[in-house]
Amino acid sequence: MTRILLIEDDAETAEVIVAELADRGFDVQWAPDGVDGLDQARAACPDAMIVDRMLPGMDGLTVIEALRKDRVGTPVLVLSALGAVDDRVRGLRMGGDDYLTKPFAIIELVARIEALLRRPMDSRETTLHVGPLELDLIERTARRGEREIDLLPREFRLLEYMMRRSDQLLTRAMLLEEVWNYKFVPATTNLIDVHMGRLRHKVDGPGDTQLIHNVRGSGFILRSRQ
Amino acid sequence: MRQIQFIRSNTFLWALAVAAAFALFVVGLFAFTYWKLDDYLIARSDRMITTRINFIADLPSARRIGAISDHLEQDSRGVQYAGLFKSAGTRLAGNIDSLPRALDLGGAAQGVRLDLIEKSAVHGPVIRVVGRRLENGDVLVMGRNVDETREISSVVGQALALGLLPAFCLCLLAGAWLSVRAQRRVEEVNQRVQRIVAGELRERLPEDNSDDPFARLARIVNGMLAEMETMINALAGVGNDIAHDLRTPLTRARLALERGRTHATTLEQLQEVTDKAMAGIDQSLAIVTALLRLTEIENSRRTAGFGNVALDEILREVCDVYEPIAEDKGIGLGVVIDRNVQVWGDRDLLFEAMANLVDNAVKFTPPGGQVRLELVSEDDTALVRVSDTGPGISTQEREAVLRRFYRSDKMRNTPGVGLGLSLVAAIVKLHGFRLIIGPAPGGQVEILAWTGRASKAAACRSRTSPLATVNQM
Repeated sequence: MTRILLIEDDAETAEVIVAELADRGFDVQWAPDGVDGLDQARAACPDAMIVDRMLPGMDGLTVIEALRKDRVGTPVLVLSALGAVDDRVRGLRMGGDDYLTKPFAIIELVARIEALLRRPMDSRETTLHVGPLELDLIERTARRGEREIDLLPREFRLLEYMMRRSDQLLTRAMLLEEVWNYKFVPATTNLIDVHMGRLRHKVDGPGDTQLIHNVRGSGFILRSRQ
Repeated sequence: MRQIQFIRSNTFLWALAVAAAFALFVVGLFAFTYWKLDDYLIARSDRMITTRINFIADLPSARRIGAISDHLEQDSRGVQYAGLFKSAGTRLAGNIDSLPRALDLGGAAQGVRLDLIEKSAVHGPVIRVVGRRLENGDVLVMGRNVDETREISSVVGQALALGLLPAFCLCLLAGAWLSVRAQRRVEEVNQRVQRIVAGELRERLPEDNSDDPFARLARIVNGMLAEMETMINALAGVGNDIAHDLRTPLTRARLALERGRTHATTLEQLQEVTDKAMAGIDQSLAIVTALLRLTEIENSRRTAGFGNVALDEILREVCDVYEPIAEDKGIGLGVVIDRNVQVWGDRDLLFEAMANLVDNAVKFTPPGGQVRLELVSEDDTALVRVSDTGPGISTQEREAVLRRFYRSDKMRNTPGVGLGLSLVAAIVKLHGFRLIIGPAPGGQVEILAWTGRASKAAACRSRTSPLATVNQM
């Protein structure tokens, strides 16, 4: 069972997160402040951590820095009411951790935790396979079974990202950040949907089994098996 | 308390100092005049008695006594003295009783006390006297009373003193008046400022049309107050806009929840209701997020993220992102790049600005229209032009669209937060570029950027000068 440590000072928020993650089969421990959280993290060695940035006593980022100093590499999802992404947060993202601005949809939190837990497919591979899909990273070609798929560069990048994270819920915010490199929320809210529609049209041809699935209200999944 | 304040006031102290200096000057003048006059009168009488003594001495001895009495008779004011003495000191003629002992015979005129035959009221006046021993051994003495010089001097002194006193009083009065006036104005300004501090923003300092420093200062401060009032009102307006814009989606959410709570009977119905409510809340959150983002950019003094940014790449990328959306709407999206241009700036922010402009253009252009992205570069400027075949921005609306939450009435039903152009304006300002909104019909927004070294300087300027504003042509 995957163990997750939640360090969050607001009891009500913590309760909802714990309940939601427990429903999805995670074993969640809760620490209400930074000092307690750091102790628990050192004692229990969780698989992932969710840390609120602003905590009484010791702030979230300090907790993470303390852990990193002890060479604890547990992936961390930082929650913050601060929208501004500063240098410390940039550092976090470079280190493979993630950052989520409050308020967030619970599904977004779950998707990001799962993304953190499941490191993407080995990047040294030059060909990616998901079900009947095959992506040649060197030749920059894509095929589904025998059928060649003609992709624009951006579509290629999107498909590559999705194939590395197959069977995983990818939210619009994640795709915007990772594939489009957006640092802001675009005014047009269906931006991703339109692009995804294009890609799906190419990937899932008429008569094919659907591979790209739209998860209502939250994002998309590339399923390797039905 | 007020009395002490008045005396301590700077103006009054200055007036006092000026009065004192004036008095000192007058006294100095008096002393100088007295000294000069005295000298002059004594020298004159000395010359006169020397001439006279020489004249009488040159006469034959028999005529001397007659000449002396003539001389004394002609003197109606009784200021002339003369005496002829035997060498032993016996008086022969004149009105001097005895030969003064202190007299230096043959020397220059000197002040000596004389014993007179007719005692005057003033006992033993000091008289300028000259004596000469004649060739027959007699001694001739001639003198002149110089007390009148002292009289003249005292008259002059009195005149000056008489002038000094009113002048001194006038100085003090003027000082007191100026001091009271200044104090009164300061007091009035203070009261008005207190009212402004208390929140009465329409209050102004008293201002007359004179050109005195107080009035000028008041005009300057009033100008500043007017500017601040406008700004504060604008901020308050923003507060209202935010409240209004948040209220709309929140009302929808609340209504949906309320209806759902009473009417929903199945899980599906309840889910539908919650979806609606969540959509409302999400829109409110989007407004808050956009507003925070705007504040973040506006307050950003950081140019740490600045570097060389290829504008052509950004344009191509924006086009790439929006192309499918434009196509879905039946709008042609084209990009024309004259040549590759680099500017000094924050790549992410510039991308955000361009994306916002294109987003707006696509949103407001009716199906079948065209959106064009152009990059025109000259020697040291680059112009990014986003034009469309939509309704454009009318002259009256140009300023308003940069305001937060402004939504053209025509566009009330188009979804959006209404912060897009403000955001673009803030980013453009941060970079020291210029935002130019073109004439309607047909939307046209241009960003004029400086390339090369000039752009760095412009970015620096925009950080230091708070007045670097967005140009709306």
